[in-house]
Amino acid sequence: MWTYVARKLLYNIPVYLGIILLLMLALRVNDPAYAFLGKNATAEDLLDIRAKLGLDQHFLVQYLSVLSFDFSVESWANEGLKVSDMLRNSVGPSLAITLPALTLTSIIAISIAIISAYFRGRPIDRTLMVLAVVGMSVSFLVYIIFGQYWGAYLLQRDGGIDAFAIGGYEPGLANWPYYCLLPVLISTFVAIGYDTRFYRSVMVEESGRDYITTAVAKGAGKRKVMFVHMLKNAMIPIITRIMTTLPFLIMGSLLLEVYFNIPGMGRVLYKAIQEQDFPVIQSFVTIFAALFILSNILTDVLYGLVDPRVRLS
Amino acid sequence: MIQRRTPAALLAALLLGLLAGCWAEAGPATADGAKSFVFPIRSAGPGSLDPVRGSTTYDNQACSLVYENLLQYKYLVREGQLEPLLCKAMPTVSDDGTVYTFELKEGVLFHDDPCFEGGKGREMVAEDVVYSIKRIADKRIGTKNWWLLEQTILGFDEWRDAQNEDGDAFDYDAPCEGLVAVDRYTVRFTLKEPVTRFLNVLAMFQTSVVPREAAEMYGTRFSRRPVGTGPFTMREEDWLTSKSLDFHRNPTYRDEFYPDEWTPEDEERGLHLAAGQKLPIVDHIRINCFVQDQPMWLLFRTGKLDYGQIPAENYLESMRKRTKTLKKHYREEGITYHPVPLLDFIFRGFNMEDEVVGGYTPEKKKLRQAISLAIDLKEFNDTFYNSQNIVYDGPIPPGLAGHPVGHFSDKAYRGPNIERAKQLLAEAGYPNGEGLEPIDYYTSISANSSEQVEMMARQLGKIGVKVQSVLLEFPQLIEAINKKKAQMFSFAWGSDYPDGENNLALFYGPNESPGSNHYNYKNPEYDKLYEKIRSMQPSEERTEIYRQMVDMLLEDVPYIGSMARTRNYLGTPWVKNFKPTENFWNWPKYIDIDESLRN
Repeated sequence: MWTYVARKLLYNIPVYLGIILLLMLALRVNDPAYAFLGKNATAEDLLDIRAKLGLDQHFLVQYLSVLSFDFSVESWANEGLKVSDMLRNSVGPSLAITLPALTLTSIIAISIAIISAYFRGRPIDRTLMVLAVVGMSVSFLVYIIFGQYWGAYLLQRDGGIDAFAIGGYEPGLANWPYYCLLPVLISTFVAIGYDTRFYRSVMVEESGRDYITTAVAKGAGKRKVMFVHMLKNAMIPIITRIMTTLPFLIMGSLLLEVYFNIPGMGRVLYKAIQEQDFPVIQSFVTIFAALFILSNILTDVLYGLVDPRVRLS
Repeated sequence: MIQRRTPAALLAALLLGLLAGCWAEAGPATADGAKSFVFPIRSAGPGSLDPVRGSTTYDNQACSLVYENLLQYKYLVREGQLEPLLCKAMPTVSDDGTVYTFELKEGVLFHDDPCFEGGKGREMVAEDVVYSIKRIADKRIGTKNWWLLEQTILGFDEWRDAQNEDGDAFDYDAPCEGLVAVDRYTVRFTLKEPVTRFLNVLAMFQTSVVPREAAEMYGTRFSRRPVGTGPFTMREEDWLTSKSLDFHRNPTYRDEFYPDEWTPEDEERGLHLAAGQKLPIVDHIRINCFVQDQPMWLLFRTGKLDYGQIPAENYLESMRKRTKTLKKHYREEGITYHPVPLLDFIFRGFNMEDEVVGGYTPEKKKLRQAISLAIDLKEFNDTFYNSQNIVYDGPIPPGLAGHPVGHFSDKAYRGPNIERAKQLLAEAGYPNGEGLEPIDYYTSISANSSEQVEMMARQLGKIGVKVQSVLLEFPQLIEAINKKKAQMFSFAWGSDYPDGENNLALFYGPNESPGSNHYNYKNPEYDKLYEKIRSMQPSEERTEIYRQMVDMLLEDVPYIGSMARTRNYLGTPWVKNFKPTENFWNWPKYIDIDESLRN
C-alpha cells in the first residue's frame, strides 16, 4: 500500500506544480502594489514597495519562493500577523462548524437514504424525497438569515431563551453549543437534501445489482441485504463524496462565518481576496491544492480498505 | 475490522484534538462590577494599529483608544475646535505663523510593556514626539501618510530623502532643522511657510506619539501590539482578526477629566453631568466587526451592543421617514436617536485626461455639463438613501467654510434639466448622443451599486448618452483610477479634517493620480489659488478664495456631485455621555455604562 501511496504522490507532483503556476499567473495579472498602498501613493512608493515585496524579482525566483511553503511570511493587509498565525487562529473556528456539520449531515443523510431505499416507491420514500427537493430549492443564504432571525433573535426576544448566539465566537468546549450549534444545524439542514438524494440514488442503484438478487435468492432477509450486503458496497461512492468534501472543511463556510461573525478560514480567505492580500491567498491556495491531492490519495486508500476487489499495488 | 474503524477513530481523535487544543483558551473576561462598552464596526476591522501605517477610519477607531496626540478635538463643543491633549496648553505660534512651540505635560506614562526596562512604561518626553513624527518619513515601515506633512516642516522633505537614500542607514537621531526637541518637555516645529492645516494634522491619529523602544522591538508586529499613552491598552491576543478587539483600562493613565465645556443642547441631554469625572470611565471596550448588517442589527436589538447604526434595510422599521424621528416603540424602550452628518463628498468623477470625456475646450466642457444636467441626485437620494443625504453643489461638505448657502450655487450644472442638457450635448458635437461611444463607468461593488448604475444609465439615456458599468472591489477600483484607466468613476471622500482645503486639494494639479487628484484636473489658475489658501488662516478672505475655486470646478465639471450622508446612530438606555461623531474617534473614553439598566 505504501508503494502505491508513494507512486500516487509522485504522479501528483507535476499537477501540483501546475496549479501553483496557474495561481501565481492569475495573481499577477494586475499589479498588487497598487492595492497594497494607500490613496496617496506616489510612483516612487510603488517602486519601493514592489522591491520590498519581491515582486521585482524574476518570476522563477518568486515561484520557488511560493513552493518553499514558508508560511512565516507576513500578511500584507494584517501587518505584523504571520500567515501561519492566521491559519492557526482560523482553522479551529472553521472546523468547529464544518466538521460536526459534515458528520451530522452524513449520518442523517445516509440514514434517510437507507430508509428511502428500503421503502422505495412507497409514500414514505416519496415524502422524504419531496422534502429533500424542497430543502435543496431554498438558498443557503435564506436558511442563514431566517435561522439567525428565528433561531437566535426571536427565541431570545420573544421567548426569553438565550440559547444560541446571534453572532460571535468564543473558544472553549463549554462555549461551543452557544456559538456553534446553530450554524452547525443550519449547515446540516442545507446539506441534507443534496446528500440524501445522492445517497438514496446510490442505494437504489446497488439494490438492482446481481449480488443483491443472489443474496435474496439465497434467502437473506431484506434487512440483512440492506445493511450487510448493500451498505457495504455503497460505501465506495459514500467515501468518495465525504473525502472530496474534506479539503473544503478547512476552508470553512464563508456565509456562515460572515453572518455569525465566526473568525474562520472562509472569512479570512474572502477578506484576503478582497484586499489582494497576496501572501495569504497564495498560502491558502497552496495548502488547499495540497489537501485536495492528499484527500484524493486517501480516498483511493480507503477504497482498498472497504472493497476487497480494489488492490493497492 | 480494525481497518474499518480507522476512519472513525481518526475522526474522533481529530475532534477531541480540536476540542482540547484549539479551544483551550479562555474567552476575554472583565472583573465583576467592571463596566464594559461594546460597539460595532461595520467592516472587517482595522488593518494596522501602527499609526503611521494606518489610513482608514477603522484604523482610526482602534488607534484612538490606545494612542494620543498633542492635540484633540473638543468632545462636546462640535465646531472643529482643538484643545491640548499631550501638551499643557495650545502651542505658542510665532508672528509669521511658521514656528509652533509645544510644552508637554509632565508625568505622562507609556503603557506598561516588556519593551521597557522592568516592564514599566516610562515617561513620554519631547524626543518621543520628534521620533513619532520622523517615523512618517521612514519608507521602510510602509507609511501611508507622508502626504500629511509633505512640503510642510522646514528641512523635513530633504531629511526624508537623505535618510531613505540608503534605507539601512536610516538615522532617527540625525537632526532635522524644523523638528526639534528643545528640552525634555518642549517640542518646536518650524514650518517652511504657514500651513493652516498643521494643527489639524497633529490631532490626526497618524501623528500619535509612540515609544521608540516598542517600535524597534516589535518591528511589523507593532501593528498588532500597540504601546501608547492612551486611556486603554491592548494585548496582541486581544485582536481576533475580522471578529473583535478588546481594550482594557490603562491602570497608569494620568489624571484626565470629562470636559467642562458644553452646549445648551448637551445640558438638555444631561451630557454635562459627568463633568470632572476621571477618564476613562469604562473598564473595558470591545469592538465587534461586522461585514453583514443583519447580525449587527439583531445584536443591537437584543442589547448586546451598546450602540448601533441603522442599516438602510432597517430604516423604515425604526424611523418615520417623513419626520426623520424614531418610532414610538423604540423610544419606549429608551433607545435614543443620534443623526451624525458626515463630512462627505459623494461624487461621480471624470478622468480629465481621457480623450472623450476629459479636456478643457468649450466642447469638452459642454459634454460634461450636459451629463451633469441629466443626472438627478435627488432621485438617488430618495431611492437609495431614504432621502437622508444632503445634495449640494461644489466639493466642500456642509458645515465647512466655502460650502454654498442653502447647499446651492447658481454656477452649478445641477440636474435634472434635460432640455438644457440636450442643447449642450448638441453644442458639444453629439446631438442626442449620436457619435458618442458608451462611457465606461467604474464603481465599487456594494449592496446597491448595480441598481445605482442602472438608475444613472436610465437618467443619461434621456439625452442619448450610454454608460457601460465596470463594477470592481474597492482596491481594484482605486487601482483602475490610479492608472487613469477609468473614464468616469464614483466613490466617496471623507474629509480628513474639518477644513474645505482638504477637499479642494483633491483638484490640485500636482496631486494627480496616483495622488488624491483622481480626476487629473489641471488648472494653473486653480493651483495658484490652492497654494495661496494652504497658508492662510480661516478668514472671510480665504473663504472667498474657496468660493472662487469652487466656481472654477463647477464650470469645468471634473466631477458631478455632490451628496453628504448622515449616519443614524442609536444608543441604548444604559449608554451615557453618548454624543457620537465620525470626525474623531477617541470619544469612547468619555462614555459611561449604567450596568444596572442592561437587560
